[in-house]
Amino acid sequence: MLKSNPGLALSILIALAAICFALFSGEPYYVQVIIWVFTNAVLAVTLRFVLLIGELNIATAAFFGIGAYATAVASTIYDLPFFISLLAAPIIAGLISALFGWVTLRTKGPYFLLISFAFTEVVRLFYTKSEFLGGNSGMIGMFPPMALNDYFPAIAITILTAILLILYLTERSNLGRVFKAIQNNEDIPRSVGLNVIALKVLCFVIASTAVGLAGGVHAYTNSVIAPADFTFFVAVLALAYVKIGGEAHIAGPIIGAAVLTLAGQFLHSFGPYENIFYGAIIIGALLLVPGGIVGLGARLRTGTFKGRAER
Amino acid sequence: MSDTQTEALSKKNKVGDGKVLLRAEGLERKFGGLTAVADFSFELREGEILGLIGPNGAGKSTTFNLISGFMPPTSGSLSFLDQNITNKNATHISRMGLIRTFQHESLLSEMSVADNIIIATTHRLKSQAERLGKMRETAKLTGLDDHLEVTAGSLPHGLQRMLSIAIALAAEPKVLCLDEPLTGLQGVEVGAALDLFEMIRSELGITILLVEHNMRAVMRICDRILVLNHGRLLAAGTPEEVSQNELVIEAYLGHKK
Repeated sequence: MLKSNPGLALSILIALAAICFALFSGEPYYVQVIIWVFTNAVLAVTLRFVLLIGELNIATAAFFGIGAYATAVASTIYDLPFFISLLAAPIIAGLISALFGWVTLRTKGPYFLLISFAFTEVVRLFYTKSEFLGGNSGMIGMFPPMALNDYFPAIAITILTAILLILYLTERSNLGRVFKAIQNNEDIPRSVGLNVIALKVLCFVIASTAVGLAGGVHAYTNSVIAPADFTFFVAVLALAYVKIGGEAHIAGPIIGAAVLTLAGQFLHSFGPYENIFYGAIIIGALLLVPGGIVGLGARLRTGTFKGRAER
Repeated sequence: MSDTQTEALSKKNKVGDGKVLLRAEGLERKFGGLTAVADFSFELREGEILGLIGPNGAGKSTTFNLISGFMPPTSGSLSFLDQNITNKNATHISRMGLIRTFQHESLLSEMSVADNIIIATTHRLKSQAERLGKMRETAKLTGLDDHLEVTAGSLPHGLQRMLSIAIALAAEPKVLCLDEPLTGLQGVEVGAALDLFEMIRSELGITILLVEHNMRAVMRICDRILVLNHGRLLAAGTPEEVSQNELVIEAYLGHKK
């Protein structure tokens, strides 16, 4: 598979290089930035994964938070072992998303978007009002076991890479094809015996489980989480990564996340004006490169510069 | 319509001696104050090509949506293969083997021809090799085998029509419900499509319910024809009987002055 797919081979090489850097470089700040890039890549890729069925899922931010809180509760309140606490994240996120999806994905039109937005804010308010979750100040003290401490950044990057790889392979499978068919015209899959609602829920649960696990990794990476980390703005940034990287291919959101996260490190120096630059970059990218960086690459390769028709 | 007329009508409606696959009794669908289909009863028998015709707005498409589970009837009952399917959804009914096509937006316009057909094999066939095999076989049958990698939306109109039939065929129907499959086809294409329908019936053993505006085609290929007008069954019978029926002529051409 790797031979016939240079893009995939290159991506895996980059991930391996990042893992080696985390293990041997002794540069904690840069390792931290790399983990941010991979975490943001998972956020963007899971947002795009639900876009496959044509739904804009703001709740990707909520499930990132649910995963983080599940791990935090498991590890600091129940004192469960590291890997079990980490596993709590995708399990809790998956279960809640199944319930949420089963109720909400029956709607047509913009309602899912609106409900997922409301859900994200309600969940955040729930954290702030729940004393056992630390209220506004959140939770602290999620540490990987001492024995694993030096290896944790490498473990984190490995897990996040595995998530991206699994989502990529799922999209390439027949299931991914069915998701795209649902987006294109859901009456067709319905007319040939496919249970469209169950499949939509499945797509949503896969994405939420994946982003939940990334939330668990985030809890251990940061050791501190707070409600303010999981506002709908997380999903807005993820959408920016998708739009700037390009929607047509899974590489788009990953590239978008890398570019904007790295740019963000420089933009921090502008303090409160940081977000203005994000906004400018997003608007500029949407106007000048509508297919994102990936779309630009495809147009350069095929030599067509006629704009959107390419996608 | 008098009682004797209705009785005679329902007799004609039951010609043929194949097993009844699909039976509708007193089917009715209202949209607010508008009655789109009313008191519509019919039987579809194994091995036949049954035509469903009527002027615009007669309730043909609504009937299709009712029998394929895309819309629940307001009242009346439906049975397919001796099972009550009155309030079953589209997924359930299509899994039983009643597959419909669509008059508009009848394909996955942004996906390749091959992907369009593979999607239709997904429920029945579980291995990717079987799905590809079925896809190639169906594409060949419908004359699409040279266009597998083309995006469906950019196919010429005639081939798009063929693709919507290919999608339905790949789902291995027992009953195939075609919603105006000849719309926009040229003379030669119509002939080829009719040959395909005949082959689907005789060689694949699939029963066909055909909604169509092209009268000449309907008369040529159907064993029996049902005529709907204002949502009600106006006439039923062989093509000859229907084409000579005064009520049908009046419905299509207006009142004699």
